[in-house]
Amino acid sequence: MREEKEFIQELLNPKTQNLAFERLLKEFQRPLYNHIRTIVLNHDDTDDVLQNTFVKVFQNLNKFKGESKLFSWIYRIATNEALTFLNQKAKKSGISSETLQSKAIDNLKADVYFDGNEIQIKLQKAIALLPEKQQLVFKMKYFEELKYEEISEILGTSVGALKASYHHAVKKIEAFVKTN
Amino acid sequence: MKTFKLNNEPKIKSGFKTPENYFDTFSAKVMQQLPKEEAKKESRIISLFSKRKSWIYAAAAVLVLALTLPVAYNNFYSSSPEIDEATLENYISYNTSISDADLVNLLDEKDIQNMDIGMNIENITIENELSANKNLENYLSN
Repeated sequence: MREEKEFIQELLNPKTQNLAFERLLKEFQRPLYNHIRTIVLNHDDTDDVLQNTFVKVFQNLNKFKGESKLFSWIYRIATNEALTFLNQKAKKSGISSETLQSKAIDNLKADVYFDGNEIQIKLQKAIALLPEKQQLVFKMKYFEELKYEEISEILGTSVGALKASYHHAVKKIEAFVKTN
Repeated sequence: MKTFKLNNEPKIKSGFKTPENYFDTFSAKVMQQLPKEEAKKESRIISLFSKRKSWIYAAAAVLVLALTLPVAYNNFYSSSPEIDEATLENYISYNTSISDADLVNLLDEKDIQNMDIGMNIENITIENELSANKNLENYLSN
């Protein structure tokens, strides 16, 4: 915790800012990429959202109050950026977010940056049927393997509620896979 | 069909891949996009300063106008038709050929009476004046 405070100080100090931010980039680029990719699904969009996320993090560093952990604050920004991106993309195309998502899943088969077989596609289709919050919880728990405590800090939901969400999500996914 | 249990199955990976060396160049790409703190501050100062400068100029212009307008106004109009009395008297006395006799002729009885009231000279003053006057006899005989 003390270390994080020092790191935040380095991020805010103009002299050490660049070096500290590079460290932050190295530390977060892979997990954040995975986090955003599970939401927006294709690589190019993930690349855009990930860059925007880091620029936004940089611009808002002085607004980071230290009330939450740096980790959960950054994940929150990334989640918001990804969801906003999807909504805007759907709006631009004049389709619903659900249609956009099912199209993105269909495109996965042809995606050179997707290495999966039928079961992966089926799982994605099952996830797409869940409510937005359950989707997020499931992806963060199952794919990203985050702890409930961490997800709780990012989404601002109690651990109990998250466990219930995940449980419901798993049941619905299992039911979908069974019948399809 | 056998029941599908997510926890009993081997872990299903997301299957998402990145282009080769994607993360090697990613941080540099982001660093380039960051607004330069120095430049940001500087440009902000410049824009604020130039704004403030124009306000200063505007304020100065208004102030100068406010201060100079009355002066200019006075300079232009101080030679206005309102000539003060002394100047007028001097002008008339030096530039006209009106003699005392002319003046006397212009005044009628009423004017003289009005002048009397205005002057309100005491008798003793008149006596003193008359006694000091060498032409008194001349006046009396007339």
